[in-house]
Amino acid sequence: MPRILAKARGFTVLAPLPILLLVAALVAFPRLVASPYALHMMILLFLSVAMGESWNVIGGYCGQYSVGHAAYFGVGSYATLMLLQYKHLAPWWGVWIAIAAALVVSLVIGSICFRLRGPYFVLASIAVAEIIRLIVLNWKQFTNGAEGILLVDIPPLKLGQTVITDWLAKTPFYYLGLALALTTLLVNYLVQHSKLGYCLQAIREDQDAAHSLGINPAFYKNVALAISAIFTALSGVFYGLYIGFIDPASVLAVDLSVQMVLICIIGGIGTNFGPVVGALVLVPLSEALRSNLFSKLLFTAGLVKETSRLGAFLKENLAHAHVLIYGILVVVVILFMPDGVLGFTKKLLARGARPLSPKPSPLVGGLDGPA
Amino acid sequence: MALLEINHVFKFFGGLAANSDIVCSVEKGMIMGLIGPNGSGKTTLFNCITGYYPPSKGDIIFNGKRLNGLHPDRICKLGMARTWQKVRPLAKLTVLENVMVGALARTNSLKVARKAAMEQLRLMGMERRADFLAGGLPIGERKKLEVGRVLATQPELLLLDEVMGGLNSVESEEIINLILDIKKRGLTQMVIEHDMKAIMRISDRVVVLNSGEKLAEGTPQQVVHNPAVITAYLGDANLA
Repeated sequence: MPRILAKARGFTVLAPLPILLLVAALVAFPRLVASPYALHMMILLFLSVAMGESWNVIGGYCGQYSVGHAAYFGVGSYATLMLLQYKHLAPWWGVWIAIAAALVVSLVIGSICFRLRGPYFVLASIAVAEIIRLIVLNWKQFTNGAEGILLVDIPPLKLGQTVITDWLAKTPFYYLGLALALTTLLVNYLVQHSKLGYCLQAIREDQDAAHSLGINPAFYKNVALAISAIFTALSGVFYGLYIGFIDPASVLAVDLSVQMVLICIIGGIGTNFGPVVGALVLVPLSEALRSNLFSKLLFTAGLVKETSRLGAFLKENLAHAHVLIYGILVVVVILFMPDGVLGFTKKLLARGARPLSPKPSPLVGGLDGPA
Repeated sequence: MALLEINHVFKFFGGLAANSDIVCSVEKGMIMGLIGPNGSGKTTLFNCITGYYPPSKGDIIFNGKRLNGLHPDRICKLGMARTWQKVRPLAKLTVLENVMVGALARTNSLKVARKAAMEQLRLMGMERRADFLAGGLPIGERKKLEVGRVLATQPELLLLDEVMGGLNSVESEEIINLILDIKKRGLTQMVIEHDMKAIMRISDRVVVLNSGEKLAEGTPQQVVHNPAVITAYLGDANLA
């Protein structure tokens, strides 16, 4: 036993140092870099990390692949922005109502969808999210329908008489996003290192076996979904306040749900840092596609002439091909890195460091088939 | 009073009676063997006892408490645990973590659970495997892990569903010793097994099921000499 604990402890003792350095660097970042574009990219990155980490609680640890998380994202952002716009309730009060709304929605969805398992659960989660999108889209008097909600301004955040921020620059959003991303990371860490995490993983691996070991699957799944929904809703609130405009197509669409799943699958599902890696891959990728970086690269590298027919075609269409490229990426990851980019890198590093990594001795009876 | 009483339990799937009018009781500290040809309803009876199916009729009473309608997790907490005919390791967790999940049925502290799990692995001589992924173990050790994991839930009654199925004779011998060892610790066991030699050695009493009905009950010696049992297993000698 001491050997295993020592190993586990060694990990936890060593890990905080680089993380603290990284956090310090991230805190200092807006002071060192003035470019609003760079800040914008970082904010998008934080948002993606928060979304991925939130989904990871239910999808990664508990293995319930919800493809309807846009519901919580949308409910969170709509609740806060509607209260702000129509009732002039400051977002730091509205956010609590957003959380409560997401919690209620998650309990309703959970009690319906968790009766189903596997692919049926996935389909049900999509269906429920679509129902919510259609309600918001068609209930025009209440939600302003497809026109969405345009945020006019956010009241300044004051502590007594001192104004902490008036929300005009990107910096307050940067720190808010950083805090959100770090919080979701911490939540994942706490889940993983608690009884809850073990119960969720047991349910993921084999629900019936978990049930016979004293774990109530319905209860734990709902707890995981509630945690996941709360932080997805917070991400939605953050998105709404930062972008300043929401409509059903941007905060309640299936694309958004799929994106949360992809961040985790590409990064490394069911791991603490997988979604961070996934966001690091996906955010720059989608930005490169949006700004047509790939065709520019091809032109400057001289692989394709800009004036040729192929060049014109690429320039015209490559930027719109992000769904195609996402698709190819997912196929590649699933085929060649089933544990995500993070798991793949770890495996490569382990192979480099210890060529004879733990393998049962052939004398004891080797592995019978793949795990 | 018996630890487990099964009173006239029926289980129907549509028109098919998988269990019909089963009556038996398991005394504290004994090993009850449950045998019968394929499809005789042994696993269905286990599923009824452990809460996976509610019995269609009849009562199951454990420690004086009626179990009908309770879910498997509640039944586990009451002190009854089962293994599965087809092993169900939590494949992506390590061996230690598998046993910890069992231990967490009795504690909320990971530290306590880890200690109990390690102790359990040590008792079973599996501590060297603690860090291995459960999905990568050979079948013999997966079966042992399954028993270790349910033992970690601190049950009074264990229901072992063909823990020797698919094992070679050396591995079976190990499991038999494990079962006898568990008995020495004062735990009660109900064992489904096809290996008659093993059943004869370990059981204090044997119940024979056939086509969902109880065919015979008695000591192992009585049961193997019971003409009805011989007929069920080998066919009617007079018809040949």
